Amino acid sequence: SGAKGQGIPAALPSALATARIIEDIGSIQYPEGVKSPKPELNVNAKQGKFRYDRDFLLQFMAVCKEKPDSLPPLDAIGLEPVDQSFALTRGGSHGRRSSSTA
Amino acid sequence: QEVDMQAQAENIRTVFNDPTNFNVKHPLYSPWTLWFDSPATKGRNLPQTPMTSFPQTPVAQTPGGVAAQGWMEDIKRVITFDSVEEFWGLYNNIVPPSQLPQKANYYLFKEGIIPAWEDDANKNGGKWSIQLPRDKNRSVVDKMWLYTMLAAIGETFDPLLTSGEGSDSPQSLITGVIVSTRPQFYRISIWTRTAPTLAGGDDDKLRERIEGIGRHFKTQVLGYPESQRLAGALATEVEFLSHKDSEKKGKQAKKIVV
Repeated sequence: SGAKGQGIPAALPSALATARIIEDIGSIQYPEGVKSPKPELNVNAKQGKFRYDRDFLLQFMAVCKEKPDSLPPLDAIGLEPVDQSFALTRGGSHGRRSSSTA
Repeated sequence: QEVDMQAQAENIRTVFNDPTNFNVKHPLYSPWTLWFDSPATKGRNLPQTPMTSFPQTPVAQTPGGVAAQGWMEDIKRVITFDSVEEFWGLYNNIVPPSQLPQKANYYLFKEGIIPAWEDDANKNGGKWSIQLPRDKNRSVVDKMWLYTMLAAIGETFDPLLTSGEGSDSPQSLITGVIVSTRPQFYRISIWTRTAPTLAGGDDDKLRERIEGIGRHFKTQVLGYPESQRLAGALATEVEFLSHKDSEKKGKQAKKIVV
């Protein structure tokens, strides 16, 4: 746990770039064990204007790990963890990458 | 397995069917832009990377943007995204609030709205916010911020939108969410497009809607019982203040508390 998606090859960004927008959220059938978004959130949804509940969204956490192509180098904007040792000593206990933190 | 096969038969592959070769993605209700600032971003001359991969901070696109130019100078635009899949790619590759420096801010705002009072979408609005003592909350602030972002991008903050009432879906009241780290505390805020004047009459409906957002924030997102009082040393209640009242710096400020 805690791995930054090393197991996933660099194909994800291109899939992201070429994937079509879902037009009818109600028509999508998810694999067994994956929850659909709560239907009541999208009763009157216009095309592509969907709302998603937290439980549905959290399911993506463990799957979508690849860095987006458009993310700039974070150190270039001063966006770096303040304390690298903090991540080592305490990082494992935060459950940030666990999907069952509720 | 049956579902998998059916999905393939229809040639629809979500990221759950195939994490590397999915061919559909989940669009967000609105595209969002993440901004960041900290003492370390001040005076940085950007970009050091190609223009295309690092969009300049578009401070002066709107009249409000011109007014906010000084404020926006050191706030760096990180990324704009419009799908659930891209949000998580960002989330899994960025620094969580607990590991930001002590005077940093993330601003997650709808695309085209800058994180400043002066923006047209914000100038008549206000914010729900909570302040949490740093020491006691370092282990939970990351989850609170994640849940705040998920309610924002999932567009579940506004009870009127969620209720599905009426077919002419009203405009969302949410313009953005912010997490701030300070030496003694964290603050998480939800910015709204409008703010009740607390004058009664027609205003009561808006106040009800705004209060619904605050209650959802307190109970569903932050996870507190509705009746729990939170104020204390370095801590505030979940409270709403219009930006106009914020400018008055405490004088005549009319707070709403949930």
